[in-house]
Order: sequence, then structure tokens, then C-alpha cells
Amino acid sequence: MTRYIGRRILAAIPVLLLASLLVFVLVRQFGADPARTRCQQSRDLKCLERTRVQLGLDRPLPVQYVDFMGDFVQGDWGTSERTDQSVAESIGIALGETAQLAFWGVAFSSVVAISVGVYSANKAYSPGDYFFTGLAFAGIAMPTFWFGLICINYLTFHLKELLNTNEVIFFSIPNATGHGAINGFRELALPVLVLSVQLVAGWSRYQRSSMLDELDSDYIRTARSKGLTRRRVVWKHGLRNSLGALVTVIAIDAGALFGGLIVTERVFSRPGMGTLFLNALGNGDSAVLIPWMIVTGVFIIIFNLFADILYGVLDPRVRVA
Amino acid sequence: MKVSGGVSSFFCLVLGLALLGGVWASTTAGASAREQSTPGTLKIAAEQEPSCMDWIGSCAGASWGIWAAGIETLPQALTVTPAGDYIPSSVLAGEPILEIGPPQKITYNINAAAVWSDNTPITSTDFEYTWKQIVTGKDIYDKTGYEDIASIDTTDPKVAVVTFSEPFSGWRDLFGGFSFILPSHLLEGKNRAKIMKDGYSFSGGPWKLEGGKSGWKKTKSITLVPNQNYWGDKPLIGTVIFQFITESASEIQAVKSGQVSSAYPQPQIGALDQLSENPELKYEVSFGSVFEAFWLNAKAFPMDSLAVRKSLIYATDRQAIVDEIVKPSVNEGRVLQSFIVPTFPQYYEPAFSIYGTSANLSKVNELMTADGWKKGSDGIWAKGGRKAEFDVQTTAGNEARELTEQLWQSQLTQAGFKVTIKNPSADVLFGINGPKGRFAAALYAQVGTPDPSLCGIFCSANIPTKKNGFVGNNWTRLTSAAIDAPWTAVDSELDRTARTVSVKEGQNALAAEAVSIPLYQKPNIFVWNTAQIGGPLQDNPTLGPFFNLNLWYLK
Repeated sequence: MTRYIGRRILAAIPVLLLASLLVFVLVRQFGADPARTRCQQSRDLKCLERTRVQLGLDRPLPVQYVDFMGDFVQGDWGTSERTDQSVAESIGIALGETAQLAFWGVAFSSVVAISVGVYSANKAYSPGDYFFTGLAFAGIAMPTFWFGLICINYLTFHLKELLNTNEVIFFSIPNATGHGAINGFRELALPVLVLSVQLVAGWSRYQRSSMLDELDSDYIRTARSKGLTRRRVVWKHGLRNSLGALVTVIAIDAGALFGGLIVTERVFSRPGMGTLFLNALGNGDSAVLIPWMIVTGVFIIIFNLFADILYGVLDPRVRVA
Repeated sequence: MKVSGGVSSFFCLVLGLALLGGVWASTTAGASAREQSTPGTLKIAAEQEPSCMDWIGSCAGASWGIWAAGIETLPQALTVTPAGDYIPSSVLAGEPILEIGPPQKITYNINAAAVWSDNTPITSTDFEYTWKQIVTGKDIYDKTGYEDIASIDTTDPKVAVVTFSEPFSGWRDLFGGFSFILPSHLLEGKNRAKIMKDGYSFSGGPWKLEGGKSGWKKTKSITLVPNQNYWGDKPLIGTVIFQFITESASEIQAVKSGQVSSAYPQPQIGALDQLSENPELKYEVSFGSVFEAFWLNAKAFPMDSLAVRKSLIYATDRQAIVDEIVKPSVNEGRVLQSFIVPTFPQYYEPAFSIYGTSANLSKVNELMTADGWKKGSDGIWAKGGRKAEFDVQTTAGNEARELTEQLWQSQLTQAGFKVTIKNPSADVLFGINGPKGRFAAALYAQVGTPDPSLCGIFCSANIPTKKNGFVGNNWTRLTSAAIDAPWTAVDSELDRTARTVSVKEGQNALAAEAVSIPLYQKPNIFVWNTAQIGGPLQDNPTLGPFFNLNLWYLK
């Protein structure tokens, strides 16, 4: 297993280097000019020229890339072109915020999606299955921004009115004064709910489909003919074998969440990776954009690796392949 | 029921991670909470985060920084009332004494009780230090007026005598308005920008940043606590948190549900209806010093013709724009008839009322025909083989502005002008196209102050050119002696009555020259929860609604 993990990590390095090169070249060539961004408010006509030299933008692109990566791996990620803040610090803070949300979203969604998927497969084409299928399609089709605002309206203001209380039950913004696990729950409940709707909708369909395949398999029929109860066959044999595909999807989606929670973070005013990206993009801040994309890429690769490992745990044949 | 080992491991892993995450979420939330005193905490939504807190630096251009932290923590000589009057702040012992001269002199008598948060008295040396920093510092936001100061006499620590080399009538904005007095005893000889940019521990106002720099939690909030050594009205609330909520719809929901007690959002369609659902909320819609206009570049064809510029104003149904853009947001709105807003009635002259507020196509035909233009078969005016067609630009992505452009395009098409919309990003419009004159017409807002000077944006001396290194803010590029004369006088005239006369003459000259097209004052919405807070709550068009936060109290 250790050798397997080692091989996967080594294989990830060239992928990461290639991704960073692509990101660097694309942002430098087609993104906002960092020197122009810094000199935007300057009336000094030589500012542009001076800043280009200062930032090393007058050198060939390959040299710039090598220098950038050299600094990057040593932890020197530079400063934002607009705010002058340390990029490493900004990404660190944003990553912490997003990780909390992504973690809870994935944990909650995976449990619900697996349960719904197994139920739907086990009761295929029953009213319950149709109900969950309909919900899943609605969940996939629902715009996150709209659903977020609807949740906020009904689960903060209207719920407060309904319960005739002075305090909101769930927070729609980070609670600057609350503390403890209960307040943590009240703060994360709504963004996790909004995030989970689309995750559960998609994942439960994967799980249903995968589980249906397993339930149609010969070994399931054999187990049933040997006298095992349906419940035991489903949960002991079918579920484990059906999880492989979903685990891969969950892991890939979880990695992508570290850069993809733009709308959820925006609606719930959470200063995470999505918000950081949106601000950097709007401001043409390539000093933030390039490290941001590399970090997001790292997370996708890490979670892919995690999926492979988990897949190996669930299916021992993969480990030796 | 037995579950297979692999599956149970997976669920155990999820559960275990969930428990870890629970501890993590609660500890991170708790850590930030412990730094604040929970009783007596007021939360306010702030829709923008400042770039820095070095208020005289070029990074401090965002109004929200000044509103949320600047005016609460640093002293000013003169402050601006909601009515737009300059009055001595608590730093001064009385009205500053103006000697017209020459040379012009202002004597500031400093309140004997005025001290910094470390109990060091606020002195004339602080005035001198601030002036020198602004004049000699790098990346300074605005040096206007400070460069006209010849010296500051600091012989008496409690009397600052400012002597000017040139008369400067806008002196009331010095050491006030959007700038502050800085503590020389803490900053002299040090890197001011570095000390202040991320927050600071000193204060000369009713509030101070909690824990100095740590009072500004980047991307999250600014936390203020009372400055115990403030000599004026001490704050009545233990802690004030300005929480950054940059999404307008979320901001409205946060205040509606009572998660924040007050907000100052930009208007958006349906916002007031949302706020009205909560009877505990009270809101005030005010029209401040920011105004929107179509700016015309007189160096670009066909704006180089006075008849065309006048025709464009006549062709513009400004009332329809207000009805479509402003009224759906705040249920009211009026056409602006000058480049000074009616919030300052002592200076406001509705000079553009000569053009009416709705389209007058017969007047357009009359003016254009008299200027030698003829309509072609496509219905577009043409003269000398050139058609009356031009581009209009605004900041890309701003929906209200894009809608305004579309309305204008439609109105001008009916009047015989062909308009193409070409919107760059804000930094390109304001950083390149505006200063370099690469536009024919542009739609954007200008921020006014109670001081009526408009020479900076309309006098010919301030036209940016290649020769002067593109210095100057007159992007209309119109050279007109009729405009220069009154507005130059406004800048150097120290007699208030004579100055007011020049201001009104200047506004009439702008209308006569059809220099650009004023549209409307941008509305502000100040909303607060009456069940949570009380006090003299009122919007201040210049300093924002939190200018008297020390007088607010929690219910």
C-alpha cells in the first residue's frame, strides 16, 4: 500500500508542474498586466516601465516561470497587486474558511446521498424512488444563488417570526460574537444545506445507479438463494461493492470544492477561496490568481489520490493492480 | 444488522472526521468570539472593506474605510454636519480664525482637553506633522490645498497657525472632511504608511480599534471599542463590529432578520420592499453628494460642436432614466439639474433646467439644422460626409449603468444619433480611457463635497494632455473662458458671499456650454433596527451615517 501511495504521489508531481505552467502562461499572457495594475493610480509615466523591471516582467516568460516556482516552493508567494497583503496569508485564511464549509458539506452530503441512493435502488420504481428522483432533478436544476437567498429569507427572518423569538435560529452571515459548538452549527447550517442540495442530488443518482447494477449481479442472486435476508444482502454485500464509483466522484468533487464554492461563499458572506478568487479576478490581481489556481490544483490532485487510496481500501484488487 | 467491515470503516471515518470538524468549527468560532466582549455589542453591515487604514495614502480611497474606522478613531479640525455645514470638531476650542491676508492665515485653537488615547495632548505639532506627511509623502491620495500651505506655526502647542502661499478657499476641507490629524509623537521619524496601513492602536476619537491591528480582521470585520481617554461624549456601547457583507441581497437579509442592527446599502430593486417586511426596521433614503452623469469629451467628434452637445441634452429623456433606474430602487428620485447636488442648497443652481427633463425633439431638429446637419435616409444626422455617431462607455458589469446606456441609446436613435455601447472594465475606463480621452461619451459618477469647487473637473488648466503627463481631472476637455473665469474665482475667493455668486455663475456657464449631462443624485439607504438601537440616528451625506456612533445606544 505504501509503495502504491508513493507511486501515485510521484505521478502527481509532473501533473502539478504542467498545471502550474499552463496557469502561469495563460494568466501572464491573457490576464491583467500586473505592472499596469500597480501603476493604475500613478501619474508617473515611468511607473509602468519601472514596475515591469521591478517585477521581472521584462524577462522571457520561461525565466519568469522558473523564478516564480522557485519562490513558490519556498513559501514566498508574493503580495497582492491591489491590497499589498501577503498572498500566502490571504490564501491560508481563505482556505481555512472554505475547508470548514467543504468538510461539513461533504460529510453531510455523502451520508444523505448514500442513504437515499441505497433506498432508491432497493425500492426502484416505487413512489418513494420517484419522489427522491424528482427531488434530485430539482436539486440539480436549482440555481445555488437563488436557493441560498430563499433559504436565508425563510430560515432566518420567517422562521424567527414563526417561532416568535427575538433571535434568529440560523445565521446567514459569519457570527462575529457567537462561540461554542451550537453557534458553530447555527452558522454553518445554512451554507452546508445550500451546498449539500446539489451534491446530494448528483451523488444520490450515482449511488442509485451503482447499487442497481450490484443488486442485479449474480452474486447477489446467489446470496439470496442461499437464504440471506434482503437487508443483509443489500447492506453487507451490495453497498460495499457499489461504493467504489461514488467514492471516486465524492473525492473529485471534494477537491474541486476548495475552489468552487464561489456562489455559496458569496451569498453567505464567507471569506473563503471562492470569494478570494472572485475579488482577485475582478481586480485583475494575477499575483493572487496564479497561486490560487495552483493551490486549487494541488487540492484536486490530493483528493484524487485520496480517492485512489479509498478505492483500494474498498476493493483490494485495485491495490495490487 | 451487521454491516461489512469496509462500509463500517467508511462510515466510521466520516463520523470521526465529522467529530473532529465539530471541535474545529467550534474552536475557531470561539477563538474569535473570546476576543470581543459579548455584552453591549452592536453589529453593523459594511458592504465594502477598505484596502488600508493609512487614511492619507492612495490606498485609502474607499469611503467605507473612512466611515467605519477613520472618523471614529482619528480627530479632525472641522467636521461636516448632515446639512453640509462645516463646524469645529471637539478637537478645537472654537471656530478657526480666518485672516484673508495676503497671506491667508487660519488659526486653529486646540481644545485643552483634547488628548490622544495614550493621554498625550493633541498639539499644533500634530497639524504640522500631518501637513508635511501629505505634502512630502509618497502615494498620497489628495494633496489639494496642503501644497498651498507655506508654514504652520507651532510656537504655542495649543494654537496652530497655518499660513498659505496662495489663497485657498477650500481650506475647510484641510485637516477635516476626508482627512485627519495624525499623532506626531507616535509617527515622527517612522514609516507612517507601514504603521497605519493594517490598523493602528492609537486613537484621537471616541473609538479605537480593538487590540490595534487585530481590530481589523481582514475579509471579516472591523471591531471598535471605546477610547477611554476621549474627552468628548464617550461611547455608550461596549463593542461595535462592522461586519463585511459584500453581497447586497445578503446584506438586506442580514439586517431584515436582525443579525446586524444597521446597514448602509447601495440601492437595488426591491430592497425597500424587503426591509418593509420587518416592522422593527426603519430606513431613511437620502440623496447624498454622489451623482451620476453622461460625460462628454469635447475633443471627440461630434462632441466638439456646441450644437450637438446641446442637442444631446435635449434628446435625453432624463426623467425616464430616473423613473427606470432610480425609482424602482428607492421609490423616489429626481433629475439633477447641475453638477452640484441640491443637498448643498446654498450653492445649488438648477442651471440645466433650461433643457427640461424630458426629450424635446423639435429643439434637437432646430439646433442641428441651424448647425448645418441634415438627416440621411437612415434617419441619422450627417454633416460634411460624417454621421453623428459615437461610442458610449461605462464600467462593464454594472447592471444599472448598462441599462441606462441602453435607454440613452434608444432615446438618441429617435433623435437621429447613432450610439454604440462599448464598455471596458472600470480600471480601463478610469485608468486609461478617461485620462487619455479615449472616449466620446462616458457614464460614471462623481463624488462631491460640501465645498463647491468644480475647477478640478471643468477648468481648462486641468485638462490632461500628453504634454502635462496626463495630469488633471477635466476629462470633458472643453476649453472655455466662460467656464474658467467663475470657477477659478471660486478657488481663490475667500469671501463667502462673493464665492457663492461665482459658484452659481459657474453652474450657469456649464449649462450654457452643455459641458456634459447631469442625470441624478445617487440615493443612500440608511437602515437600522429600532428594537435594537437608539440615539440620534441620521445619515450624513459626506461622512456617512456612523459619524455620531458614540451617541448611539443599545436597547
